[in-house]
Amino acid sequence: MAHVSDFLKPSDLQRITNLQVLARQVVEGFTSGFHRSPHKGYSVEFKQHRQYVPGDEIRRLDWSVFARSDRHYIREYEEETNLRSTLILDRSGSMNYAGTSAGGVTKYEYATKLAACLAYMMVHQADGVGLTTFDTQIRRHIPPRSRVSHLRVILDELEKGQPGGETDLGDVFHELEAKLHRRGLLIILSDCFGEVASFLKALAHFRHAHHEILVFQIWDRDELEFPFKTWTQFDCLEQAGVKHLLDPAMLRQTYLENLATFRDSLVRGCRRHNIDLVPFCTDEPYANALAAYMTRRLGRR
Amino acid sequence: MNFLNLAMLGGLAAGAIPLIIHLFHKSRFKVVQWGAMHLLSAVLRTNQKRLKIEQWILLAIRCAIPLLLALMMARPMWQGAAGLLGERPTATAVVLDNSYSMEAGHAGTSNFSLARDETQRLVGNLRRGSEAYIFLMGEDTGLLDEPTRDLTRVTQALSKAGCGYGMARVPRALEQVAGTLAKMTEATRQVVMLTDFQRVSFPRTEDEALGQALKRLRKLPAPPTITLWDVGVEAKENVAVESVEFSKLMVGIGQKVQLRANLHNFGDSARPDLRVTMKVDGREQGTSQVSLRAKSQGQVLFSHVFDRAGSHVVEISTEADAVNADNSYLASIPVREQLEVLLVDGSPGATPDDLKSATGFARIALSPFTAGKVEQADLIETTVVAATDLRASQIAGAAVVVLANVATLGDAPLKALEEFVGQGGGLLVFPGEGSDAAWWNGPFAKVAPLPLGARAGDLKEGAPTMGVLSQRFEHPALEMFNDPRNGSLAELALKSWFQLKPPATTGHPTDPLVMARLANGEPFLAEKPFGKGRVIACATALDSSWSNLPTRPVYVPLVQRLCVSLASNVYPPRNLRVGEPLVAFLPADAAGKTAKLTLPDTSTVDVPVVSQGARGVVEYKLTQRPGLYTLLPTDGPPVHFAINADRAESDLERLSPSEIQAMAKSHGLQLVHSAAEFKALENVQRYGHELWRWTLLGLLALLFAELLLQQKFARGGARS
Repeated sequence: MAHVSDFLKPSDLQRITNLQVLARQVVEGFTSGFHRSPHKGYSVEFKQHRQYVPGDEIRRLDWSVFARSDRHYIREYEEETNLRSTLILDRSGSMNYAGTSAGGVTKYEYATKLAACLAYMMVHQADGVGLTTFDTQIRRHIPPRSRVSHLRVILDELEKGQPGGETDLGDVFHELEAKLHRRGLLIILSDCFGEVASFLKALAHFRHAHHEILVFQIWDRDELEFPFKTWTQFDCLEQAGVKHLLDPAMLRQTYLENLATFRDSLVRGCRRHNIDLVPFCTDEPYANALAAYMTRRLGRR
Repeated sequence: MNFLNLAMLGGLAAGAIPLIIHLFHKSRFKVVQWGAMHLLSAVLRTNQKRLKIEQWILLAIRCAIPLLLALMMARPMWQGAAGLLGERPTATAVVLDNSYSMEAGHAGTSNFSLARDETQRLVGNLRRGSEAYIFLMGEDTGLLDEPTRDLTRVTQALSKAGCGYGMARVPRALEQVAGTLAKMTEATRQVVMLTDFQRVSFPRTEDEALGQALKRLRKLPAPPTITLWDVGVEAKENVAVESVEFSKLMVGIGQKVQLRANLHNFGDSARPDLRVTMKVDGREQGTSQVSLRAKSQGQVLFSHVFDRAGSHVVEISTEADAVNADNSYLASIPVREQLEVLLVDGSPGATPDDLKSATGFARIALSPFTAGKVEQADLIETTVVAATDLRASQIAGAAVVVLANVATLGDAPLKALEEFVGQGGGLLVFPGEGSDAAWWNGPFAKVAPLPLGARAGDLKEGAPTMGVLSQRFEHPALEMFNDPRNGSLAELALKSWFQLKPPATTGHPTDPLVMARLANGEPFLAEKPFGKGRVIACATALDSSWSNLPTRPVYVPLVQRLCVSLASNVYPPRNLRVGEPLVAFLPADAAGKTAKLTLPDTSTVDVPVVSQGARGVVEYKLTQRPGLYTLLPTDGPPVHFAINADRAESDLERLSPSEIQAMAKSHGLQLVHSAAEFKALENVQRYGHELWRWTLLGLLALLFAELLLQQKFARGGARS
């Protein structure tokens, strides 16, 4: 049976826990949960009054205000729900790349650790966590639950899977959307390789369903810097038989330009859809990266 | 394209090294399992072709770098279009300065032997089948008559060539070479001039002529390359016997002859106690010492009495120095035993002794010992002939003909007389009672120095007489009367005379010359050159009928001097400059035979005696070498010819290096100073220009290009 400590070193756990403590302190008295509910509905936490406009449900009228002031006001509450997060883990072949600077850690391994961290963190704050793994299609879908024992299921699944095959984020996400019955937080752990337009379209689809989306883009340092010097044969991890023998030095600049274009289009697309795109590099301690993200997330609040 | 260092071409194999490295790298590739293939594929898709091209370009440049390096080390030469023709025989004309200044030198090696050795080497190095022509500048002739492909013959002839010849005349030499080059068939031509760049050989005044000669060379269908080779080492110290002067009058046995040698010290140091020697016919007859300051001239006087008739050679020489050719000066002095004077009498007396005859006094005056029956030889031997009996053969045998009171001469004698004077004879004309002005100014006018005018004066007793103007006489015949001790022409009193019409001076050398004038300014004695001889006319008669001339002490020396002066016109001349043809007259019966001529180098040549008029004539034109030429007729005494070179060559001062440079530059000539320099120049001409500089530049350019292109290609001229 997998244990969270298989993925997280004690020091990592310490950092995350500290972060959690810090986060709780920051939001104490403001929300009962860590995550604000995007839905306004029935709850205990009053939010505001607003003038009735035709079309509003009659039952939501604040009759006591009407009695006092003879005006129609709607009483609005902050819905306080537990967060339903789904970790969407890319299990395609390209995630299996392990660069030299990462010390043999594949992007997939890195992503699983990241996912484990997130799952742990969320379960421990009583948020529901689900896991979906995919390559060309959805391989496993574990719906979100907030029980502590559910963490085991997720960690087992994370440990079990091995990456392989091609990626087609667009199609998979469209398929996935049908399975996510309730809106919640979608955390995509992927290198996002593939067609940018179709990927963004799928994200837009999620957004349309009012999911909040976080993309943790996993990079290897080699992919970002293309440090190869000698003649190299690049074998494709996703499609067998696709290989290129070339002098990388000749291509580096163009590759980097191409990369920048790719990242730029991704960043701009995400910003357009109000999606957080957070790049992670496998040689960074993922706890650091996670902490950096959380800090930013809180800062934005 | 040629290579000086062919072995280095093996380095071209190094060109394969980058290729090998490339292939090695390509075969020893690393395999990476790559995820972000879509990023790479996009790059590859759009740039693969260009990348390949760029790779090839880089590879080509990298291969070219060692290739170029190897090429550079092989020292390539570019010879332009000439290279396409391959190694062809050439036409080479060498102008070798063998003027006597080339005798100077350094450390026992004369400039000439240096130049000759270099020429030999140059000819020896010519390609097989090349044409060669050597022009000797001092001699002013080719070493061989024609250009030849037999190079061995040229080198053999060269080893016998010597210097010590006359002036080097550069423009003239180049003109001659241009003529010869035009006859040569090879298209690749070169002219090489080896000279000591003596200042006198390159005067500023001849700069234009030099330009003309070079222009002519360059206008040849296949213009040659022209190279000046400076072989000179300046040796300044030189003393030359510049000239030897002696009396222009004929020399007889027992007469004291004075010889004045002019010496010139061209050097920068003084020459005290310079020994000067006079040799007569090879025997030393006198020595003298003279002190010469630096760059100064001096004179030494010698006198000598010849004791026998014939041709004599006087050589005046100084001590040996850098240049030997100018250390001695030769003079050929013919000494005559007797001078044949033909007296043509217009009014002959009954006997030859008759003093009434026109020539009576003159005969005694010319050969006083014979007339006085004294046992002593006269220099002059007289023959009297009546004008009416004159025959052509009598004229030919005489040295001087005297016409006294001759009215007219027949056509044949007159023609003979003209021929006689034209070929160098002397004619002395005295008018008289019988003189016919019509004949004088008619048929005889050609020969007569001045036209005969009206008769003046009065023969009556007590009538006033005309004197002769006292003046300083320039003419050699009258020079002695400048000294009153030898008698004075002022003593003469003329009762009657012919007015000789004074000449209108035209400045021409054949103008009549008035030797002496009467007191009234009219000509008394006038001389005119005619052909190669001279004619002297007097205004009065030779006898005592018109003047007191025969009775005065001055009469004998005057008549003798006039005859000797006319006979002294040694013709053909025996003292010549180099290059002047040597001519000798021999008796008519020698014609058709050959005479032997000993040259200065003691070799002997046979020269034919050609019949010309009443005599045999010998002519030899190759007198470029100064020295003594001795003509030995089959029957007859030897005749000496002294041929001296112009002493301008004795001034050994060279053009300064900057002047030589400037001269070469202004005329567009190549200039070399040593065999190595010539070899380098020849290499450029034969094999072309050395290209290693350009190769090096190319190499550097390639290195930079490789660096820049690599950067550019890596940075990505590529766009995804």
